Amino acid sequence: MIDTPVIEDAAPSTTPSRRLRRRGDGKLAVGAVIVGLFVLAALFAPLITSGHPAEQDLLNRLAPPSRAHVLGTDQLGRDEWTRLVYAIRIDLRVAVLGSLIPAVLGSLIGIAAGLGSKWLDAAIMRTSDIVVSLPLFIFFIALVGLLGPGTGFLFLGPGELPLIIGFTVISWVVYARLLRSEVRRVRSMDYIRAARLGGLPRRRVIAWHIVPNAIGQSIVYFFVDVGLAVVAISTLSFLGVGIPVGTPEWGSMIQSGRGVIQTNWWLIAAPGAAIALIGMGLALIGDGLDDRIKS
Amino acid sequence: MVAMRTVLARLIQLVLVLLAVTLVVFVLTQIAPGDAARLRLGPRASPEAVSELRHQLGLDRSLPHQYLDYVTRVLHGDFGTSIDGQSVSDIIGRRIGDTLWLLLGTLVLAVTTSLVLAWTAAWFRDRPVDHVIRLGVLLALFLPAFWVGFLLIRLVAIPTGWFPVADLGSSPAELLRSLVLPSVTGAIILTPVLVRSLRSSLIDVLDSEYIAVARSLGVGGPTLIVRHVLRNALGPVLTLLALNVGYLFFGVVILEATFNIAGLGSALVEASAKRDVYTVQGITLLFATGVVLANILGETAVSLLDPRTART
Repeated sequence: MIDTPVIEDAAPSTTPSRRLRRRGDGKLAVGAVIVGLFVLAALFAPLITSGHPAEQDLLNRLAPPSRAHVLGTDQLGRDEWTRLVYAIRIDLRVAVLGSLIPAVLGSLIGIAAGLGSKWLDAAIMRTSDIVVSLPLFIFFIALVGLLGPGTGFLFLGPGELPLIIGFTVISWVVYARLLRSEVRRVRSMDYIRAARLGGLPRRRVIAWHIVPNAIGQSIVYFFVDVGLAVVAISTLSFLGVGIPVGTPEWGSMIQSGRGVIQTNWWLIAAPGAAIALIGMGLALIGDGLDDRIKS
Repeated sequence: MVAMRTVLARLIQLVLVLLAVTLVVFVLTQIAPGDAARLRLGPRASPEAVSELRHQLGLDRSLPHQYLDYVTRVLHGDFGTSIDGQSVSDIIGRRIGDTLWLLLGTLVLAVTTSLVLAWTAAWFRDRPVDHVIRLGVLLALFLPAFWVGFLLIRLVAIPTGWFPVADLGSSPAELLRSLVLPSVTGAIILTPVLVRSLRSSLIDVLDSEYIAVARSLGVGGPTLIVRHVLRNALGPVLTLLALNVGYLFFGVVILEATFNIAGLGSALVEASAKRDVYTVQGITLLFATGVVLANILGETAVSLLDPRTART
């Protein structure tokens, strides 16, 4: 299993020109363009929208799409396109933090489990078994529903911190397990043994040889995880336990549009399409990277 | 004998995990702001009335004592009363039916679809069909279920008038009709999670020696698939389902909110918005118990199906 890539590489059928374009490049490019456009739109939101996302025009409620309002207006006369674009900032900020923190924490825990004593390993693995077997999203609904979304924290708006904490509790497990098994696999490979025998200190072998080789898969999962987090943020906001209603956030926008689904369906269609599109872009990046690592 | 021991070990584990779950649920509701007695009586009630109710509810006792009270009450099937004075057990009894129907509809549709897709992908391994299924399934993971539900309501239910857009029907035909769109939405949530692992376990089965032997003996076509491949893939399917029960329950909460169905999920969302502590406790505990039970049932079924796994 370990040496299959080497065999593939040595296969004579691979011509030089094919080698330049590696597997997964197509997916990677499409994904990068989609995600890149979203990030650019979030950064330059004031330039591509007219006015503020909270600006109301009560005389112009539920207007159909027009040149002034590309996606029409909502029940309070707010411009849907402006809200859609400003929502990228909230959704992406929470999703990236809610994936980065568990990625770092989970990876450290996984490395500790893979390299530490038997007892530490067993304790970490049993804990992760229990975490996986609990209905954590149900607990999240119960907890945040009872506690309320809070008032925000540092640069985070209301409802953002509970989501980030929730995602951390839920997804550290994936990274911990990934890193643990990768560390164990890499540790027993010949060149690591050679490095140890050659007299390299343990800490240096871990930092420079084991971890870099083990981290590829968790970077792949990180991109998928950010996309899943966007879906989860909007779903929880739709259920009323995420970002509070009234904030420009995709799930909340769909929730407030459900009353006018018959007449102003685009108020629901557009935010949902945004969620699906950015999620798929991130998944394509992850899948493309995965193809690259494997080939 | 081995299976018996597994079941016994699992039962002990069940009790331990359930105790842990009651503790988690109890802590969840302890850190919720506001006084349960004050919330019930409203801001205008006299302090005497509030302290009287606090005493009745046992809120004036120490926390360990309250936890023991709570576990004792739950063991007697008493989940307390909701904020508007109904018994939580009654609420659960009234609402659980719709939730179970949704679970059943989603499971049937999702498992069938997953088996067909995973089977096709495994059979045409590494060929274009396989790539298309794998990419499609990966991308489907990012379709927000509630959004898909609304699209189905707007594009199918409203124009055709074939499907109701709220509540489940009461007569069998009505029930079946009202289950169609929620089940399709539920299958879109669950199928992408199942197909990936199913495909690889089907490939494992297809590559195994006994399939090669069966083939060399001239067994082929439907007999090979049903008697040898599917039977051996049943274990992985059950394990996978058991692992994802928590996710499935979350999915049902989404379905109930999207299609306006008065099941346990919408009861949970409504109760937590109203700070209705006892109802939230009861329903959360029920969902958690369901997850634990499903895990144990799944593992037991797998070890009964395949004696080799029982020993580990």
